[in-house]
Parts: sequence; structure tokens; C-alpha cells
Amino acid sequence: MQNVVLQSSVAFAQTSLKPELGFINGMAIANRYADPDVESRHAAKLTICDVSCLSRFAIKGPAAADTLKAKGVELPASANSWSRHDETLVMRLGSSEFLLEDPIGVQQCKGLSEQLQSGDGVHVVLRNDASFILSGELLDELLAQVCAIDLSGPMLADNRLAMTSIAGVSVIVLRQEVAGQSLMRLWCDGTFGVYLWETLLDIIKELGGGPVGFNQFFNSN
Amino acid sequence: MKLLQCPVNGIRPVSEFTYGGEYREMPDADTCSDKEWATYVHHRHGAPGLKKEWWYHGPSGTWFIAERNTLTDKVSRTYLYGQENKA
Repeated sequence: MQNVVLQSSVAFAQTSLKPELGFINGMAIANRYADPDVESRHAAKLTICDVSCLSRFAIKGPAAADTLKAKGVELPASANSWSRHDETLVMRLGSSEFLLEDPIGVQQCKGLSEQLQSGDGVHVVLRNDASFILSGELLDELLAQVCAIDLSGPMLADNRLAMTSIAGVSVIVLRQEVAGQSLMRLWCDGTFGVYLWETLLDIIKELGGGPVGFNQFFNSN
Repeated sequence: MKLLQCPVNGIRPVSEFTYGGEYREMPDADTCSDKEWATYVHHRHGAPGLKKEWWYHGPSGTWFIAERNTLTDKVSRTYLYGQENKA
């Protein structure tokens, strides 16, 4: 049997940048694009990082909340908000729809995927997201160019998330601390990943930033 | 920029929404007359005025009802289907 290596849905757009690849959760991911000093400067100024390889689990339906609670997952109380269960990110996308994402080294989503199946009142949703981290001091300037609502203010405060359009693509966005840095997380349908990556990276480069690899925010080794 | 209030997600630019047609009460197909049913299926009331309409917020997948004056394009309120009295 062949060993299948998954690719990020954005991999096609990253090939010309010749990234140093790593393998996380069975997916090849760009670990580094440039010298660490250059990437650190990009991260401080303005950057985008592809984190599509993180494990996700999604479930919806009238019994979705009870099903997750029965598995011991603590849920955000209100729709359009997020919380942490242990280290796993738990997003409540509506009264009855949830998206979970594990950081590196946590197996919560894998466990739920194996244990839960669609059935009465629950539907396990197959997610194929492209997922990015956006960060840097010019982040608000980037968002002002691609999003019609103001995400710099209270819109994303107090663990709220927003479902809106960025550069015409439907996305989920939230603000988060990763490795002590305040940044923005973004998820979109994987088929829009290349377009969104290229569009955002164009603007990021115009503003003096650049892409960074997965290692900038997570230690994958 | 035109803005529309999604009952779940709040105020968003209208470019995030899709119009889903006028909301009209469906007569009971088992008890209504053929004439009533034919009117429901085939006739549309195109005169401008206050209408209930289906709208869809794409990024979150939310269908809801907007009450909109099609003469002035002013939306008086929006609410989830079945929650008219809560809005």
C-alpha cells in the first residue's frame, strides 16, 4: 500500500517560493521560506503563514452540543465565539455548529473523529479548510484593504469570532495569542486557499512584509 | 456601501448577502382550491411596497427574513424564520 502524503490546499501557490518542507499530521507543510532573521522581520512587520495542516473536527446538528459535552468538551456559551478546551481551540459557529482545531501534539480532534459518526441529530462535517495566521504591526492596514468590516476594534474582542468576507471569500476569523504574539487566525474553504494566499501575499509584500513558515509559530521538530 | 443586519452575525456589507426571493405564505395544498394554489404557484405581486423577503448570509450560511420596502429600499427589520415575534 502506498503511503499517502497530503498537501496543503495552498501548496501549489507556494512552490515558486521554494519552501523547506516539513510533515505534520501526514501533510507536507512549508516550514521555512527564508533565513530565520528575515522571517522574524516579516513576522514583526506583516506576514502570512499557512497552518492548514493542523487537525480539525467539525460537527453540527441539534444534538451536536450535547454530543460534544458527553465527550467532555467544554463549549463556548454563545454563538460566534470561541474558547479553549485544554489546548484545543473550540469555535462555536452557530447555536448548533462547532469547529475544533488541535495545536501540534494534541490529539483531541483525531480522537473525536474516530469516536463520533453522523447519526440522529448530529452530522460530522468533513473540513477541508485552508487556514492561515496573519500577524504583524501592519495587520490592520492589510485588513482595511480586503475586508469591509472593521476587525481592529471590538468586533473580535472577548473571544468573539466573525464570519465575513475577506477579498470576496467567505472566512472565519478570530484573534488569538500564539507563542505570546497577538495575531489573527483565518479559515476558508480549501478551494479558495490559493486565491486568498496570493491576494493577501501580494498586499503583504507591498506593505513590506512576506510569508513565514510553520516553524515561526510552532515548533514542528 | 450598503449594509444589512444579519440576525445572527450583525451588520455586514450587502455584498455578503444573496437575495432569496419574496417570502409568501403557502396555502395548504390539501385543502385549498385549485385557484388558490395556481395563484400561489404562478402569480407574483410586483408592485413596490413593504415585502417580506428571504436573504442569505453567505459566510455563515444563515437564511433569514428581511422586511424591506422595495420602493425606498429601506429594511425595517430582519429576523430568523419562525422568530418574527421575538425580533
